[in-house]
This record gives sequence, structure tokens and C-alpha cells, in this order.
Amino acid sequence: MADPLHQFQIQKVVELPAFEVAGIPVDLSITNSVLAMMFAVAAVIVFFSLSTARAGIIPGRGQVMAEGLFKLVDDLTESIIGHDGRAFFPFVFTLFLFVLSCNLIGMTTYFTATSQLAVTLTLALLTIGTVIVVGVLRNGLGFFKLFCPSGVPLPILPILIPIEIISFLMRPITLTLRLFGNMVGGHIVMKVFAGFIVSLASLGFLGYLGGFVSLFAVVALTALEFLVAYLQAFVFAVLTCVYLNDVVNLHDH
Amino acid sequence: MSVTSSSEAPVTTVATLEPIVTAPASAEAAHDAAHADSHAATAHTEEVHGHGDAHASGGLPQFQMEHWAGQMIWLVILFGILFLLIAKVFAPRLRKVIDNRGSTIAEDLANARAIRDEAEAQAKAAAAETAQAQAAARKLASDAKSKAAAELAAAQAAEDARLNAVLAESEARIRTARDEALSHVAEIATDTASALVEKLTGKAPTKAALSAAVKKA
Repeated sequence: MADPLHQFQIQKVVELPAFEVAGIPVDLSITNSVLAMMFAVAAVIVFFSLSTARAGIIPGRGQVMAEGLFKLVDDLTESIIGHDGRAFFPFVFTLFLFVLSCNLIGMTTYFTATSQLAVTLTLALLTIGTVIVVGVLRNGLGFFKLFCPSGVPLPILPILIPIEIISFLMRPITLTLRLFGNMVGGHIVMKVFAGFIVSLASLGFLGYLGGFVSLFAVVALTALEFLVAYLQAFVFAVLTCVYLNDVVNLHDH
Repeated sequence: MSVTSSSEAPVTTVATLEPIVTAPASAEAAHDAAHADSHAATAHTEEVHGHGDAHASGGLPQFQMEHWAGQMIWLVILFGILFLLIAKVFAPRLRKVIDNRGSTIAEDLANARAIRDEAEAQAKAAAAETAQAQAAARKLASDAKSKAAAELAAAQAAEDARLNAVLAESEARIRTARDEALSHVAEIATDTASALVEKLTGKAPTKAALSAAVKKA
């Protein structure tokens, strides 16, 4: 049976010379992961270029889809962050489309970039970095009130503040691992069941039976994984909005 | 291949996981050495497969730290490109068209509402006009009716009066005729009595006796 983890193996497609920055080796070679991200970004750009090039009052099919995605994220930022949400819309929309496109490229064609820990970690760090920068820019040192909820009795604060700090520090980790875990888990399970089909079918009659069960499982799992691909992109966008809301509307807490 | 991978496995593990934290310099050295080794020993694809086999046994390939920096930098570059395009091109385009649609729909609705109001007002005016005309017609009809009735009544009264006058005149004439006739009765009776008495007695009675006798009868 094929190794279900082999699908996550980084392979170089175009080799570029590696160099070092501050003692850390940086290899800018275009790997399959990078290529998948390029495909994902290119797909988004091509789709939106085509669908919005001749955007009219009466939309075409592509424009309906583009506007559907737009409205989805626009409503999200508007409803979670409030009136200031529009300023963060491009960031949240980019995150959503990037994750969704990477997930779908992984589901349909090439390689799942979002199953790479480095990718999900970078996305999480981008999000949390934005949250911190926005928080400090808007609130100055008042940003640290984030860890000190108002209206809490004084004796509880020594317990509550560390909990708030830990929960804030856990955010990038949970963001990273949620997307990573979902994509890795789903793809491993699909590969494992797909492997079962072949290995069971080679065992004879009962094996055929098992092979069919595995086949149905793979079909069902594929449908589920498409749902997960969309859902994880959506969850990433929602959580980004929630975290941004925490620092944008800090005084409301 | 299995030989190269097994010989390579410890080297890469050391290079990627441990020394990066503890001793960067030695890590680079080890990594470079491994890199050069594999490069020299095997072809490009074989080297890649060698890596894969080596790490598959050691866990998820995602934990091979030597691929992280490249992915992260490429991700930031690609994310930046996408962000700029969305922020500067796609989002404004979509927002513009959605806002345009909203204002167009609102405008059309307002127009439609105005036209509907106008139509309603016109319908109301027409209804009022109809009602007015109806009332006028009704009034005209009733006027004509009452005028006709009055004329009729007047004519009737005039005719009645004329007839009454004729009647009264006739009655008066009859009455005078009767009275006249009645006044002649005594005379006739006297004449008759005188003639009778004359025939019976042969001598004409006196006028006074006759009228007394007539009056007694």
C-alpha cells in the first residue's frame, strides 16, 4: 500500500540557489507546495479578473459567484466587526480566498498547500500579526486592556489575566493546527481508504466486498472533504474577524 | 535507494530538528554537507524520493524544517500579491457594482412608486369626476322631474279652476233658470185656475181670490 503520508512530501520542481538569512537557511526553490499556492492564487486572480472585468448591474454567472463570495465575507466583517469592518474586508477576503483556493486545489488537482504546517502557521501569524498591529495602532498601550476585561471583581484578576494572556497566545496555535489538522487528517483518511480498495481487492471475493465498502467510503469522504475545504476557509475568516473585533472594539468590552 | 535513505536519515534529522536551536553553525554545515552529498550521489528526482522515504518513516513530512523558510516567504509574497489585487482592484469593482445595483434598484423603485402614486391620484380624480357628473345628472333628472311635476300640477290646477268656474257658472245659470221657472209656476197655476173657474162658473174669479187659493194649495 502506498504511504498515505507521501502526498505531503515537499518536492522541488524548480531548483533555485539557497541562501542564508541570519543563520537560517532559506531555499527559495519552487517546490510542489509553492507551486500549488501559485496555482491557487492564479486561479483566484483569473476568476476575479474574468468575472469582474465586465461587471454589470445585471450579473453574469461568474459575477454572481464572485458577488456571492464577496457578500459572504462582507456580511461577515460587517456583522462581527461592525461599521469599521469594511476596512479589514480586503484582508479577511484575501485570507478566505487563499485558504479556500488552496484547499480546493488540494482536493481537485495538485497538492494541498494548506496541509503544510509552515503554510498554516504563516497564515496564522499573518492574522495574529495584523490583530496586534491594528490593536496597537488603534488603542496604543490600551491594547493590553485586552487581557483585563472590565467589570471583573479585583480578586479574580490575578487568575483571569494569565488565562486571558494564555488564550491570546494560543490563538495562532489553534488557528495553525485547526486548518493543518483538518486538511492533513482528511487527506490521510482518503488515501488510506483508497489504498484499502486495491489491497482488499487483491484478496479475493470477500476482499472485493470490502473494496466496494472502501470505494463508497472514499466517495463519501471526498464529498465531506469538499465541505471541510470550504468550512475551514470560512472558519479561518470568521475567527480572523472575531480576533480583529476584539482589538477594534476594545472599549466596548 | 533504501541504502541512501537510511544513511541519510540521521543526518537530515540532526540538521533540521536539533541544531537549529542549539548550534546554528554546525546545523548549516551538516545540512550543506547532506545537500551536497545527495546532490552528487543521485539525480534530482532520486534525491527528492530519498528525502521522502527518509522522512516518511520518521513522521509527518510537514515537520521537515528545511522546507519551511521557502514556503513561508513564497506564501507571504503570493498573499501580498493577492491582497493588493483584491484591495485595489477586485473589491472596489465588486463594491461599486453592488452599490450601483442597489442605487439603481432604489431609483427604479422610487420611480415606480411615484408613477403608481400619480396613477392613483389620477384614478381618484377620475372617480371624483365621475361622481360629480353622476350627481349633476341626478340633480338634473330630479330637477326636470320636479319641474315637470310642478308644471303638471299648475296646469292641472288651472284646468281645475277653469272647470270649476264653468261648473259654478252653469250651476248659477241652472239655478236662475229653475228660480225663474219656479216663479212662473204660481202665475201658470193662477192662469190655469182662472181658466178652469171661468169654464166651470162662467165668470172670471178675482185675482186676489185666485192667488189666495193658489197659495192655499
